Amino acid sequence: MQWTTLFKKELLENWRNKKWIWFPLVMILIAIMDPLTTYYMPLIIDAVGGMPEGTVFELPEFTPTDVIMMSLGQYSIIGVIVIALISMGTIAGERKSGVSELILVKPVSYKNYILSKWASLNVLVWFAACLGLFASWYYVNILFGELSFLALLQIIFFYGLWLTFVLSLSIFYNALLKSPGLILFATIATIVTMSIVTQIFSHVLSWSPNKLSSHIIEMLQTDQIGSALWGAAVITVALSIGLIISAIYIFRKKEMAA
Amino acid sequence: MALVTVSDLSRHFDGKPVVHQVSFELNEGKTIALIGPNGAGKTTTLRTMAGLLNPTSGSVKFSGMNAGEDIRPYIGYLPQYPAFYEWMSGLEFLVYSGQLAHLTKDEATKRALELLKKVGILDAKDRRIGKYSGGMKQRLGIAQAIIHQPKLLILDEPVSSLDPIGRREVLTLMDELKKDMTILFSTHILSDADEISDELLLLNKGEIVESGSLAELRNNYQTAKLELSIEGDLSTFQAAVSQLDCIEECYIEKDMLHVLAHDIDTARSQIIQMVASKNWSLTHFSVNRASLEDMFMKVVNS
Repeated sequence: MQWTTLFKKELLENWRNKKWIWFPLVMILIAIMDPLTTYYMPLIIDAVGGMPEGTVFELPEFTPTDVIMMSLGQYSIIGVIVIALISMGTIAGERKSGVSELILVKPVSYKNYILSKWASLNVLVWFAACLGLFASWYYVNILFGELSFLALLQIIFFYGLWLTFVLSLSIFYNALLKSPGLILFATIATIVTMSIVTQIFSHVLSWSPNKLSSHIIEMLQTDQIGSALWGAAVITVALSIGLIISAIYIFRKKEMAA
Repeated sequence: MALVTVSDLSRHFDGKPVVHQVSFELNEGKTIALIGPNGAGKTTTLRTMAGLLNPTSGSVKFSGMNAGEDIRPYIGYLPQYPAFYEWMSGLEFLVYSGQLAHLTKDEATKRALELLKKVGILDAKDRRIGKYSGGMKQRLGIAQAIIHQPKLLILDEPVSSLDPIGRREVLTLMDELKKDMTILFSTHILSDADEISDELLLLNKGEIVESGSLAELRNNYQTAKLELSIEGDLSTFQAAVSQLDCIEECYIEKDMLHVLAHDIDTARSQIIQMVASKNWSLTHFSVNRASLEDMFMKVVNS
């Protein structure tokens, strides 16, 4: 009951501040950027003056899998930053403005408070990622060849888990820190660090959340969901749950007015 | 009966005590003013009572409540600078607050409309809070604090930031609310405390330096001030008046002789006798009871 109230308020807030409009648009733009520019590259080169005469320039042939993975590649960089941006102030901003003093002095359960923030952002992010990847899949099918709809659903499902992990990390830092800028930095720094560590210890960390993308490529190439992908998915979900539980625990201990 | 018992409450920030071993009781149905100069620890005390800060030591206990029980349902709190969701309308915010305090949507809406009317911003119910004036926000703040009918209403400097009209309105509103709940409010405007509170708590440098009902405090700190102006050389009169044993202090300021005394009645009759017997030409004589401000200055400076 209280959870629903909090959750509805979050959805309404994101609607009123237009996040429901601009964020999906941004995610669509990020996703279709690479498929379109890759396909039209010869035209673009011509339009900006073309190659010197006699240059032999073979553009590589891209498979549908290559191209949709480019979209995921963009999500992993720009997408993650945008997600960190929309979530950086979700709790910290309320504490900074002081409105959380009014809210949390009411008998609000800290668990409900954190979970409503997390759930509402997840709904928004999954919605936007679905639209974006669907748009990318649409252009891939038109311009580069067939990629099954089932493959799209699988991509959305597994890659979505990674985005949920990014959100969970941001919520965790929201519970810990009070400055939105610092939360943005901490979230991105953590993801970069994780990615470096995963690359260095690649052989032992094949279930790292950062590996989800490369396992998704394998899935598309072999047409089956490998154990490493399941492993990474399970670890990603487990880490997300762990982060949210820690966030609730930290928040409970925290003084709202300090 | 004591609704709230605060015992040995201390709160340190970075090792420095901001509130130090404060103990007091709030009696049910009373309006209590927490007064003290800036930085005395008023806000910290109130925030600790509202559960927004954890005490370094000591405790806040509500009567009839078990240790560890969530006290928030019984408390309404308005911070000094309340912030709202500016994108909500006043009505939406109140309904939301009510629902968070476990009212159903219908109950919350009904109560919200009643309160909007009571605090006088019913016309602005559908306007975004971002467009509210300071006084309207303060009134909305009070409305959200009492939406769940708390036993104790805690107001931090409820009128300090308001213009005279807003101040008057909020004070009138508080006067109405006195009937329904115990109110604890902080202020450094002494006349406000004087006007609506039943009891006073004087906080200075993190410690309660004086407390009691207004009448009690008046009695304890009753120093009357007599002001005389007399034609002639004031210093000779001063020398004469200083001889009287009931006089505490006697000084000249702005062409008037100011006489401080504990026992006003004795002082008055002795001085009048002296004036009559020596045939001074008295042009002005007045007795002023000590104001709350005088008492405050005296306590804070002692």
